[in-house]
Amino acid sequence: MRLFQDRPSWRNFLRWFIPLKRKTGSWAFVLNRVTALGLLFYLCLHLVMLYQLAQGPQAYDSFIAFAKSPIIKFSEMFVIAGGILHGLNGVRIILNSFGIGVRRQKVLFYSLMTIAAVGISFFAYRMFFGA
Amino acid sequence: MNNIRWTIDMEISRQRQGEERHFEVFRLEVDPNEYVLDAIERVWAFHDRSLTFRHACHHSTCGACAMLVNGVEKLTCITPIRTVTADGGKIRVEPLRNFPVLSDLVVDMSSLYSNMEKTNFSQVAPLDQSYLPYEEKPEADEVERLVDCIECGMCISACPGAATSASYLGPAVLAAAHHVYLETGASCLLDLVDSKDGVWRCHSAYECSEVCPSNVDPAWRIMDLRKRIIHQRVSSWFTRKERA
Amino acid sequence: MATHEPTRADNSRSRVRVELGERSYDIRFYHDEPDALACDLAPYCPERALIVSNPTIWNLHGEALASALTRAGVDFIVELIGDGEEFKTLAHDLALRGFPVIVLERGDIASGTSGRTHGLLHSGSRYCVTDGEAAVECIQENIILRRIAAQCIEFNEGFFVALDEEDLNYAPQFVEGCRAAGIPVHPLTPQQALSVEPNLNPNLLAAYRVPDGAFDPLRLALSFAATAKRNGAVFLTYHEVKGLILRAGGVAGVIALNRHRGQEVRLEADLVVNATGAWAGIIAAMANIHVPVVPTPGVMVAYNRRLINRVVNRLNTPGDGDILIPQRRMVVIGTTSFETPDIDYIPVDENQVEEMWRKAVELVPAVANAEQRGAYMSARPLIGSGEAGRSLSRTFKSYAHRQNDGVSGFITITGGKATTCRLMAEKAADMVCEQLGISAVCRTAELPLDSYRTYYQSMDGDAIE
Repeated sequence: MRLFQDRPSWRNFLRWFIPLKRKTGSWAFVLNRVTALGLLFYLCLHLVMLYQLAQGPQAYDSFIAFAKSPIIKFSEMFVIAGGILHGLNGVRIILNSFGIGVRRQKVLFYSLMTIAAVGISFFAYRMFFGA
Repeated sequence: MNNIRWTIDMEISRQRQGEERHFEVFRLEVDPNEYVLDAIERVWAFHDRSLTFRHACHHSTCGACAMLVNGVEKLTCITPIRTVTADGGKIRVEPLRNFPVLSDLVVDMSSLYSNMEKTNFSQVAPLDQSYLPYEEKPEADEVERLVDCIECGMCISACPGAATSASYLGPAVLAAAHHVYLETGASCLLDLVDSKDGVWRCHSAYECSEVCPSNVDPAWRIMDLRKRIIHQRVSSWFTRKERA
Repeated sequence: MATHEPTRADNSRSRVRVELGERSYDIRFYHDEPDALACDLAPYCPERALIVSNPTIWNLHGEALASALTRAGVDFIVELIGDGEEFKTLAHDLALRGFPVIVLERGDIASGTSGRTHGLLHSGSRYCVTDGEAAVECIQENIILRRIAAQCIEFNEGFFVALDEEDLNYAPQFVEGCRAAGIPVHPLTPQQALSVEPNLNPNLLAAYRVPDGAFDPLRLALSFAATAKRNGAVFLTYHEVKGLILRAGGVAGVIALNRHRGQEVRLEADLVVNATGAWAGIIAAMANIHVPVVPTPGVMVAYNRRLINRVVNRLNTPGDGDILIPQRRMVVIGTTSFETPDIDYIPVDENQVEEMWRKAVELVPAVANAEQRGAYMSARPLIGSGEAGRSLSRTFKSYAHRQNDGVSGFITITGGKATTCRLMAEKAADMVCEQLGISAVCRTAELPLDSYRTYYQSMDGDAIE
């Protein structure tokens, strides 16, 4: 079969991330990929942090001081949001793969995203205003 | 009776075989209740006879006239102009994605047809097997009908999986395999789709069912196939134990 | 094909033997050695050779090959130009009889009238009173198509329903006409009819069951084309005939435009068959011949609910909007009849669409609760001298221009309806045989057609991968 799409191209790569004119399912698809990349990036940072820990108490303490800065706390919100979104959407995908809730996948998506919003708000509150 | 006329711009993708594509704009006066395919035919008839496009039945039974209209897959013969633009507006027409372009709006569909042929999908089925299992079936005695899938290729064009994998069977073929499986129960069909280029390539974007003009619901069928494949695999473990 | 050893020196560089189903093929490769090829080929086919090519290759190598073959033996190429059902079925017939065939089509398969046909597999009962010849042709072809093209036909039979006194008065002639044409016809009480088709007009007075069916117009054409392709016919779609090659009082080929590439090609042929339907007059005029085709369009309207499972006809003489056909999840009403000068684009007439809606609602009131899904026009190729639409003959005619107009190498076939496409092809192929002095038997009535999808398994003109 001679199909032209075997060649990787920027156009197709971008299509994975820019679902303009597409519907809910595609937006969820993109959301999953973006959060996955974000979490992967965070994982790398986390490993860097552990490396710092292994350097001894001073390196660790200075790192923790840095970690408490507002920018980092704000970024961590994205990590939490990413984790919750990716996880809940992942649950939806798993259910769908077993044939559960496929016809209601949009409703399922919106419900889970609402739960996600609640969860994210809760964590945001705890992080910025909690004890 | 309806004498409303809109002025619209048809922005059409043009390319001779093997060359780079470009867009050409044609200004038309149209009746907004006419269909996008009528406008394309009008461009060919009165503006540029070198425009190539595929069409046959003009009433959504052949699947030939599927194209991208303003970036979204549409069956142009049943897409009224008023649903895609307004007076003074523009309609951008491009060939389907994920198929090689022969020229202008005509794509090479041979891969879709070869793959469909592997499933032994028949266009005619008994009435009660022509509907999705979750639909309410009409009461009828022994009657047959032409089935829903018109092999238009829109689902494959819309699928992000098909965009980056040329070997992916695609929603249409998987849906066809599902249809034949429900009719015949032949497990070779499950084997056909149980592969990395079959049902497992799908990543749940659901665009296939969104754009399908014909009630096939390939997304549901793909997930149902997964369910059945898993069920078959799991139960095959137990049957083996029983034999031992 | 005979499998005898070559009697001359074998000049090929390499050869391969391939078994495909019941047949085996000897494939030989020649690298720019047309004379060696011709020399090896001649003993196998002393009468004619099949040349299969695409226009680009032909332009580059054709002349050399053609002259080499002429020096070594005789070569024939038969070409077809056309649109729609007639020429796919003709390509199939000729290919089966052993003719090398090239089919040219301005657009894609069935992009003319044949793609937009209503989709009614006629039982012939519609014509049994007014046009007995057409009725007999229809029922015979109906039975043949159901046998060879079942893959794209939904056969649930059809009803003729009487809604008023005038309809009822037509009934006796109708039944008599059906019997005379050999069409099975069964009367039903209104209750019986409504019990199987509950959406019929509840006020119907009588109903008759006949073997009507519905088919997918594109896939019917594709199945003939697919079978012809497998038997050696070459399809050049998106090739528009721009002119005929005229030589020594006859037609010797066509000049066509490859619309994919925007390039002109010249194709030589021993016989050109003009099977272009409503455009037959235009093509014939390229040879200064007048063929009395009267393009007669009609409108068809599709609604988005499958309200009936059988074809529903009005029991009366053929008129406008008297047929309602189920097609997948739709019903389609047709049609009207009027003349138009320009057949390349026929706009849909809103008044006719309204009229069709009214007619549909008379037959099946629930159409009023459905939405319009599509509306389109298509131009029937009626034959005649310009009288009013419905009285023109619907049978087809073939014209041997050598006898009629003194132009050799050219025949025209036009008229007809989708249901009789195979029969038209048979008659046309008979005429091709007669014009070329060859006798070959038609086998299309018995041979089941290949799956329509196999047409696309190689794109036109390319080698199979």
